[in-house]
Order: sequence, then C-alpha cells, then structure tokens
Amino acid sequence: MTTSTRDRRPLAPQRLVPLQLWERFGTLLVNVLVIGLLIVYLFPMVYMVATSLMASQQLGDRYAPPYPAQPVTIEYEGKTRKLLQVPFEDGVRELALVKPGPRASEFIDPEHPEEGLIPWQGSWRALPGVYRFHLTWDNFSTLFKSVRFPEMIRNTLLAGLITTVAVLVSSLIVAYGFARYPLPGGNLLFFVLIATLLIPEKVTLIPTYFFFVRVLNWNGSWLPIVLPFFFGSALYIFLLRQNFRSIPIEIEEAAMLDGAGPLRTLFSVVIPQSWPVIITITLLNFFFIWNETRQAALYLSTRRDLVPVSFGIQNFQSLSPTQNLLQASALIILLVPILVLLLTQKHFMRNLVITGTER
Amino acid sequence: MTTSTVPLPPATQPKQRRIDRRKLTGTLLISPWLIGLLLFKLLPILASLGISFTNFHMLNPGETRFTGLDNYVRLLHDETVGYVVFQTIAMALTSIPLQLVASIGLAAILASRRLKWPGFLRTMFFVPSIIPSVAILFMWFGFLDPNTGWLNRFILEPLGLMGTGGIYSDAARRLVFSLNSLWAIGPGMLIMLGAMQGIPREIEESARVDGAGPFYRLFSITLPMISPAIFFALVINLISAFGGVLLLDRGNVFSGSQSPFDDYISHQMFSQFDLGYATALAWAFLVLVLLVIIFLFSTSRKWVHYEDLGR
Repeated sequence: MTTSTRDRRPLAPQRLVPLQLWERFGTLLVNVLVIGLLIVYLFPMVYMVATSLMASQQLGDRYAPPYPAQPVTIEYEGKTRKLLQVPFEDGVRELALVKPGPRASEFIDPEHPEEGLIPWQGSWRALPGVYRFHLTWDNFSTLFKSVRFPEMIRNTLLAGLITTVAVLVSSLIVAYGFARYPLPGGNLLFFVLIATLLIPEKVTLIPTYFFFVRVLNWNGSWLPIVLPFFFGSALYIFLLRQNFRSIPIEIEEAAMLDGAGPLRTLFSVVIPQSWPVIITITLLNFFFIWNETRQAALYLSTRRDLVPVSFGIQNFQSLSPTQNLLQASALIILLVPILVLLLTQKHFMRNLVITGTER
Repeated sequence: MTTSTVPLPPATQPKQRRIDRRKLTGTLLISPWLIGLLLFKLLPILASLGISFTNFHMLNPGETRFTGLDNYVRLLHDETVGYVVFQTIAMALTSIPLQLVASIGLAAILASRRLKWPGFLRTMFFVPSIIPSVAILFMWFGFLDPNTGWLNRFILEPLGLMGTGGIYSDAARRLVFSLNSLWAIGPGMLIMLGAMQGIPREIEESARVDGAGPFYRLFSITLPMISPAIFFALVINLISAFGGVLLLDRGNVFSGSQSPFDDYISHQMFSQFDLGYATALAWAFLVLVLLVIIFLFSTSRKWVHYEDLGR
C-alpha cells in the first residue's frame, strides 16, 4: 500500500485484503470459492449416483475406478479373458490373462496376438483390471421388481393431498384469527402456539398411541397420521400469521363494511393476496410427507400395502441389498424432492426467506 | 394490538360489547387449533405425567399401579441418564456453532452481488436440506463402508490417515453427525441470507466509501444487523438438536445420533417396553428443553438488536 492511498482515505481501517485488489479479483475469487465449496458439499452425492450405476462385481474390486465401469474382456481361443494392467520394466501394458498361476502367469497382447504368450512373474491376483466407462441400469429394474413403487408412490401422493388440503384450510383460518382478532388472554395463546413447537415428540407419544390403537383400534390405518393435520400445524400457522400481518388492512375493512363475515373476507380478500406463502407451505408439507417414516413405523408396519415411499425404502434395507442397489433406492426417493425444489426454486427460496425473517 | 385489527363499523354499539364480540369471533376462528391443542398436546402431556407416576409396562399392563415418584428417583440414580444428557449437550454444543458459522459464512458469500447465477447456486446449497433422511442414511452407510466406501479409499488413505471402521464405529458416528448437521443448514442459511439482503444498501456503501473491506464490513455491520435472524436460526437448530420439530422435518432416522437422550427414551419405550419409566424420562427431557429455551430467550435481550432492523 502506498502513502498516497493512505492520504486519500484517512479513515481507512486495517484490512486483510488491499481494497483495490479485492475490487479487481473479487468476482473471480467469490465464484471460484462458491463452486469449489459446492463440489465439496455435494461430494457424497456423487458417490451415491456413481455407485447406483455400478454392477455388483465392480464393488468387490478394490482396484476398480470410482466411476461406473465394466471390466474389459476379449475372446481368445474360444474363452472370455479378462484384461489386466501388467507392470513391466518399460511401463504398464494392458494384457489378457491366458494361463493364471500362483507365482507366474502368461498373458497375451490383444493388439498383437501374433507375439504369442507373454510370461510375467508375480501374483496376477494383485493386478488391477482394465475398466471402461459403462452405466449399469440393471439396479433400477431389479429395484422396481422387489419394491412396490407404484403402490407406495400412490399412498404418499394421496396422503400428501389430503394432509395438505386439511392443514392449509385449518391453518389459514386459525392464522387469520391470530393475525386480525383480539383473543382472550392477549398474546398468551400465541406464545402457547410457539411453545408447542418445542415439545419433544416422545412426551405425547405413548398416550396418543394408546388412544389411537387401543381405544379407537386404528392400527394399520392412515387415520392416526392424517387426523392431526385437520387441526392446523403450529409452524404453518406461525408463518401464515406473519404473512397476514404484512398485508395492508384497508381492503379487508372495505369487505367487512360490505357485510362480509370473517371467513368470507379471508377466502375472497386475504387468500388471493397470500398465494406465495400458501405455495411455500404446500411445498413444506409435501417434503414432510415424502420424508415421513416415524409415524408410518408406528401405525403402518402391519400393512405393507399402505406404506408411504420413504418408509417402504427404509424397509427395503432390511433385505440387506448390495451397496449398489441400496444407493439406487436412495437415489430414487431423493430425486423427487430435488426435482420439485428445482422446479419451484424461485418461489420456494424467496418465500422461505421472507416468511422466516419477519417477526 | 388494536391498530391491526378490523374495527367493526356501527358506532351505536358500546365499545366493550364490540370487543367481546370480536374476541368471540377470534376464538371461534382459532378453535380448530385449540381443539387440536387439547387433544394432541395438552391431554397426552398430562396423561404422560400420570403414566410417569406408575409402573405401567407393555408386557403386563394388568399389574399397573401407582408408584409415586419411584420413576423419577430411579432416573436420578440411572447412570445412563447422566451419560446421555452429557452426550446430548455435547452434541448440541458442537453441531449448533458449526451450523451457525457455516450458514452465516455461506449466506455471506451467497449474498455477494458478484455472484454469477445466484438463484441456482443458492438452490444447490439448499438441496441437501430437503432430501429424506432414509436416503441420507443409506448414502453415509455406503460412503463410510470400510471396504467399498469412498471415505477410506479416496480421502483418508491417500492422506495417510487411519481409515474408519464403518458406520457403526464411534468415529464414523461422530463424523456422520457433524457432516449431517452441516447438511441441514438450508433453512438457517436462507434466513441469514434474507436478513443480509434486508440491510439497507446505503449503510454498506458508506462503509465501503470509508474504505472498509469485505471482512471488516461483515463483522462490524452485517453480523450486528442480522442478529435477530441469528437468534431465530439458533432457536431452530437448538430445537432440532433436542429432537423437536424442525423447520424442514426430514423424518428422524438419525434420531439416535441427533439426540442421545431421545434415543434412550426410544430404547426404554420400544425395546424395554417400560412405559412408566420412559414417560418419566420424556417429562424430564421436556423440562430440560424448556429450561434451555427460557435461558436462551432471557439472554437474547442483551445481544439481539431488533430496533436496528429496517422495518
């Protein structure tokens, strides 16, 4: 830093990066940094995608490449031979194994078979194989045969539809009450609403389970899972109330003057102005139902035909599938929420920001 | 607040009667939630408290009788309880600062106006927060597999470090837990990002003109101005660390590593079928969570600056 810049900016505080340098290279630096971070952040997903496209034999081979690939073989004297990477003094050659032996083996060069058998000292088992990039889609077809996807997806979508409609209608009405009307006890009920978010699930679990299963005999049914959605969700009520309070009240007052009741005002005036937050809540609820396993494990473990998709995949693990099948199953249930997020990103990302920060 | 409520027109109505009528309408509007609160929260919580004073056992419910404070006395002498409380707090103390620092740092970079494709990049960083925990569990299960997983093969062994012994080893569990907590920062990051974008541009510009570099601006302007968002994210992370409701609930396959106390309650419920003791543990947990939340809210006045936020 020269003295002249100091003279021009007498108030400049100590800095880590000289300002002019930052102005010039900052853009490049920020973008490289973010993309680098993203690659590291999502790296385990790369493993999942790659493994789900591998054949089982590649998993057992320590020397196999990390990308989905297939060992290269050739036909020689009527037999299929595996290509191995054989080290010689003048470099590594890709040769086909013809006569395997414990200490010495004989190979043939597939490019120059006329050279004849090439002897090599050492254990062929320690030699890495030759692999070429190849995608194995069999894992997915095996998976679709052993897991009843259409049924599970139908269950999940049906539950998603019912719970979303139920929770939206009830939460909208309750949130409108909280946003626009005085309530007995002042703000106390609103604090109770927030406090219910903090209650650990286990405290209510045993009595609720006994009530549903022993009293109402609702074992093996979606009813105990769906019913609470008809009474609103504290989180969604909170998000909706914040949103309603940010809407100017004048139009509602005009509707009230025209004789509209609170419900009519809510549905004809307030909701048309609240679509962004309603869509955000719909998405939140979709992700919630798609990922649901806990309640399903409690109430649906006796009914294989009713299970939702995440729980069905969780059960699939109990068959101890190979790693490539397991990763394929993970990839399938993860793809749907990611696609939904990517399709709605503009909406979802912006509205979660807005609904989250306003107090 | 009376200013934000809809005033009813007729001036002939006495004011008190009008307010009473509006209170009645409000109560009717929130009644679905009130009924749900009673049915699914208050009554079960009270029933739980009742069960916690008995020796209710799934295998012989006929022998259930009132045992007073026996379960709570047992809880105080249970060495495992001390251990899981310690573990839960230790995990919260490692994961929450990690999540907060990561989400603030990420939000600070993603809020940069120099960023190309900001929408796409923000969404990509959000992706891990919405995927089902089952998928995440399977993924870590494979990634950490001692033989075929990539962690040993491509990260630990090339660096000359000892490999982990698979997902069931202690080291791997801790690693999964911290990495998994980093994979849940999406909502926190979005909240911080929104708050950062809400900072009036003039403030930042004038600091820039005065010669403040990016790091100086972050610590002296951005952080104090987003303190309400930090507080909100802190509360969300805290609740999820204690096994409560998350902003984005991905289903809780990880409950075991998320909150050891919660895991111990599950063990007493589903493996030992000792429901009396399990509900006593759950009640103790509820009290613990409430104490932490009350502590947090009581200290928040000292460091959260609401009036500074341009609203």
